[in-house]
Amino acid sequence: MRTPSAAELTVPAVAVAGGVVYLVAGLIGGQTWVGGLVVMVAFAAVLWLVRRRSETVKGLLDRRDERINTIDLKATAFAGGAVLAALIVAFAISIARGGSGAPYDWLLGLGGLAYIVAVVVLRLRG
Amino acid sequence: MRATRGISQAELGHALGVSRQTINSIEAGRYLPSLPLALAMGRFFGAAVEEIFHADA
Repeated sequence: MRTPSAAELTVPAVAVAGGVVYLVAGLIGGQTWVGGLVVMVAFAAVLWLVRRRSETVKGLLDRRDERINTIDLKATAFAGGAVLAALIVAFAISIARGGSGAPYDWLLGLGGLAYIVAVVVLRLRG
Repeated sequence: MRATRGISQAELGHALGVSRQTINSIEAGRYLPSLPLALAMGRFFGAAVEEIFHADA
């Protein structure tokens, strides 16, 4: 059996690490619910198993196929746009209800700043 | 060009380091390969890039 590459292991490892973070954060907050960790471990396991049957999942994990990398990039941009749109709506609703707009305001600011930094960095890299 | 040499999409994809899906998308005209991939295809078939993509147009 071929040894998995570091690239293939990255997403599942980050998913499990995220689950551990959820668990630790919960324990710090006095909660013992392990559902977050269970969900993330299950997600990592599904990814690992499905990669043998799906070229798309395999490509998303090993990052070797340029077309699948492009699909991943576009999907990430779409997801980011969807989150930003939801934040804008949430911010507007917060303001309309007489609220301060927090925490949506600084999250939107972070998104805008991240975009500008990315444009500058990518522009400089050519 | 691939078919005339009796090479499957999966075999060509494996040789070029891409998936069978990508080869299928290139052949169907749904995906334009990058320059490095196009050049790799040229080297694989022993043909110029213009010959490969012109032949399938």
